[in-house]
Amino acid sequence: MEPILRFDNVSKHYPNGVHALKGVSFEVAEGEFISVIGPSGSGKSTLLRAINRLIPINGGTVWLDGQAVSAQRGTALRQLRRKVGMIFQNYNLVYSLSVLQNVLHGRLGYMGGLKGVFGLYSEEDKQEGLDLLKELGLEEFAYNRASDLSGGQKQRVGIARAIMQQPKLLLCDEPIASLDPSSAKTIMDLLKSMTQKRNIACIVNLHQLDVALKYSTRIIGLSKGEIVFDGRPEELDDATIERIYGTSRENLMIGGHGNDQADPAHCA
Amino acid sequence: MTKRIPLIARDLKRLYTGFLLAAVALFLLCSYLTEFNPMVLVANGDAFWEFITEDFLPPALPPASRIPGIFSSVLVTLALAMSATTVAAILAFFVALFGSEKVSPFPRFAKVVRGFATFLRNIPALVWAFILFSSLGIGTGVGFVALCITSFAFMVRAFVETMEDVSQDCVESLQAVGATFPQRVAQAILPSCLSGFLSWFLYCVEVNIRASTIVGMVGGGGVGLTLFSYIKSFHYDIALSIILLIAAMVIVVDQITGKLRKELLK
Repeated sequence: MEPILRFDNVSKHYPNGVHALKGVSFEVAEGEFISVIGPSGSGKSTLLRAINRLIPINGGTVWLDGQAVSAQRGTALRQLRRKVGMIFQNYNLVYSLSVLQNVLHGRLGYMGGLKGVFGLYSEEDKQEGLDLLKELGLEEFAYNRASDLSGGQKQRVGIARAIMQQPKLLLCDEPIASLDPSSAKTIMDLLKSMTQKRNIACIVNLHQLDVALKYSTRIIGLSKGEIVFDGRPEELDDATIERIYGTSRENLMIGGHGNDQADPAHCA
Repeated sequence: MTKRIPLIARDLKRLYTGFLLAAVALFLLCSYLTEFNPMVLVANGDAFWEFITEDFLPPALPPASRIPGIFSSVLVTLALAMSATTVAAILAFFVALFGSEKVSPFPRFAKVVRGFATFLRNIPALVWAFILFSSLGIGTGVGFVALCITSFAFMVRAFVETMEDVSQDCVESLQAVGATFPQRVAQAILPSCLSGFLSWFLYCVEVNIRASTIVGMVGGGGVGLTLFSYIKSFHYDIALSIILLIAAMVIVVDQITGKLRKELLK
């Protein structure tokens, strides 16, 4: 089967000399749930934004649904971008608009320029937006301002907006980094169930190793812009974790009882 | 003898002393260059005082037949400020979109746009008025253009900064969605920045009420011109009434816009 996404020797260096990605290659198939882990500055965010060209790359090729992303400009680039939903650490909603308006932003990539400018969404789109909000338990907030919601609720709006795009691929940049543990669990559960149900491939940048181990079908470990691990969660052993983070597993557990939990599955 | 314990670091103390000495030296130098002598004021104080008490005070009402004309000239000044600011704000909004590296579709030209606005802004409205009066003749229309240019340039800068403060994250998300530039502007930038834009607009109205009076004095019409004609014809007591009227007008407008701005930024 043709992969949804293929990284072919992709590299990126910033004008300040930082090499964020060094010859990264991997493929993503339909329905995979991939966590990208690695310390801060290892290139996780750059990797994610290289996929929809929010950050242009310097070398190699990103293939999305059979098309080279870096070759696209203007309309073609926007048509490619709408196939990729994105979820952000800071939710990135337009807080002065209603929740429903934010959800419907997911349709902008499909609409004619002027219709989108004036927010003239079709009745079907509006109905779908309301249905999605219901599925996420937010139907009573549809007409509240986005700024009135709590963090976990805002992120659910972010998910609704991304699903509204009918994407083939979902990118999540630290989706739970600003949330309390209980909201974080809700968000991860929703991400997993919504993407599995719709057969959307999902790539999640994560700081929490235990979350990555629990939810992923596959984990990619990044260190200094290079992939040092690419495999199933149960293959991730302590030596590899040390190679990714440059420190031993015990030091990654803030509670300090890493030794008791030799089996990765228990950490979840 | 015991040594006194210093309260602040010695180099800091030296810095303060240096600043104080430099300020005094600068004042003396400037006074010398401008030939400003505080003593002149004291010596001529009598004449100055006489002018105030004899010519200015008490304020006199203009002839009754002139009063409607004066009030209509106040309205002209207000209208001039409002219309110039409104037109300038609309133009500034569109130009400001291209003046922010983070928003503009052509980020390389953002600096050029901002530089252009800064250049226009650093020439005072009064200078623009003189330039335009010399080339286009006097009249309210020319005063309108002069005010428009400076408030346009000011608002471009203010709007660019408002956009850079507010909207980066939501612009990125709409970019990821595949939205076009006009869609991003209408759906993300405008809703998040509107209250900020309006607040700057109201501030600009305040500034322009004062500026339009002055531009009026040199030929732009309105209450400024009325005031100037009474001063030129030595009717200082009537001029004082008009000055008080202008002050009242500015205070009222300031109160209204100040209140609106507070509401907006809630």
